[in-house]
Amino acid sequence: MNGLGPLLRKELAAIFWSPVAYAVIAMFIVLMSYTFCAQLFHSRSASSAPMLFQAASLLILTIPLLTMRQFAEERRNGTLELLLSTPIDDLAIVLAKFLATMSVIAVMLILLLAFPLVLGAFSTPDWGPIASGYTGLVLLAGALTSIGLAVSTVTSNQLVAAVLTLGLFLLLWMAEVLGVFFRSPVDEIAIAISLDTRFTPFATGAVYLSDFGFFLTIGLIGVLLSVAGLSRR
Amino acid sequence: MENPTVSSPLLAVENLSKRFGRRVAVDNVSFELARGQILGLLGPNGSGKSTILRMLVGYLRPTGGSVRIAGYDVVDQGRLARTQIGYVPEDVPLYEALQVDEFLTLMAGLKGLPKSEFASALERVCEKLNLNAVRKLAIRTLSRGFRQRVAFAQALLTEPPLIILDEPTNGLDPRQIIECRELLLSFAGVHSVIVTSHILGEIEKVANQVAILLDGRLLSVETLDRTSAVPADLESRFLELTERL
Repeated sequence: MNGLGPLLRKELAAIFWSPVAYAVIAMFIVLMSYTFCAQLFHSRSASSAPMLFQAASLLILTIPLLTMRQFAEERRNGTLELLLSTPIDDLAIVLAKFLATMSVIAVMLILLLAFPLVLGAFSTPDWGPIASGYTGLVLLAGALTSIGLAVSTVTSNQLVAAVLTLGLFLLLWMAEVLGVFFRSPVDEIAIAISLDTRFTPFATGAVYLSDFGFFLTIGLIGVLLSVAGLSRR
Repeated sequence: MENPTVSSPLLAVENLSKRFGRRVAVDNVSFELARGQILGLLGPNGSGKSTILRMLVGYLRPTGGSVRIAGYDVVDQGRLARTQIGYVPEDVPLYEALQVDEFLTLMAGLKGLPKSEFASALERVCEKLNLNAVRKLAIRTLSRGFRQRVAFAQALLTEPPLIILDEPTNGLDPRQIIECRELLLSFAGVHSVIVTSHILGEIEKVANQVAILLDGRLLSVETLDRTSAVPADLESRFLELTERL
């Protein structure tokens, strides 16, 4: 794809030079360590599900901090105008930012592997749910990142981007709760688009193709909305 | 795909319009630019100069009309049209954290220059813009004058036929303005240039043609003959056109 390579190198440098990435990674690991230990000492069981749900919740809180600056900052600084005057594809710009953000999340998820390894050292955890849970976390992170990028394209204010993204994430996570207030088919739609509903099978060791497809579709929609938000107005 | 020909104008703007909601920013503007010529877009602040440039470079989508650069339509053949331009936006937005060399390398990659030509292209533009002393410095540490030169350097990396400059002398001191003017004049015959300014004297010193804009409308396109002993009185013409409305 035209321009993806140089742009990705620039985005990786930008995101890993930024203190925000390290603050987010540190906060994620500290909070995960705290809740992992608290849960482990409380339940005295080697179940991975609470850890995976905790990680998913923290991804919802931290990904807006990573995506908020991506396009909002370019728009505020005027560099988006310079970028869009070059013969690169809009999709390449979005993908470079998506991959750079995912690389920070990859670091977080790699560090997260320490917790199942601790469980494995002192007990015999069921590795199936851990593997499927990790797959779910990667898919969830991809979907959330693409939504966050799409929101970032519509504003030049990073704080507004972060707040809107977080609100949208929470709505999608809890969409199933809304289903209580509506009749069929709205309640079924609310349950179907709930991130919580879709993530739960992964965390408990059941991988359905429909959930796989859901996260990929959300990710794709986010990328396409980002391209649409970015494209020449 | 249309093949650009040398005889056709490098830039053809036809009935170009842009609306932002109900506000008309650019209203039915048409003009052409021949190869090697310098066209000045002159008008007060808010007259639509920057909006026109943003449509030429593909940052904004026209509401109506068309723009062709070297035969390529900026909407339907946007990527090809953008290979034909070097653009220096107003207030020279650059990636502050990057060193000059890193920034120029990035821009060379984004402009599709083959990797094997990066080094020679960087050498050439840094030599032309006197940037050799600051190549390893972060852009955020540079003065406004050097930042302007870096912005010019990225625009010249691929030797594009059309250079587009939005208020290039904004914020420069008198010496830097003179250097900028000399640089612009050195483009004549090699590159076609569109330069905007709200300062009549600046345009008069560099342009072959001047397009006078007011409230998004093109009032007149004047040809300047700088070789003439008695230059055209652009100031009188500008006042005459703008007071008539």
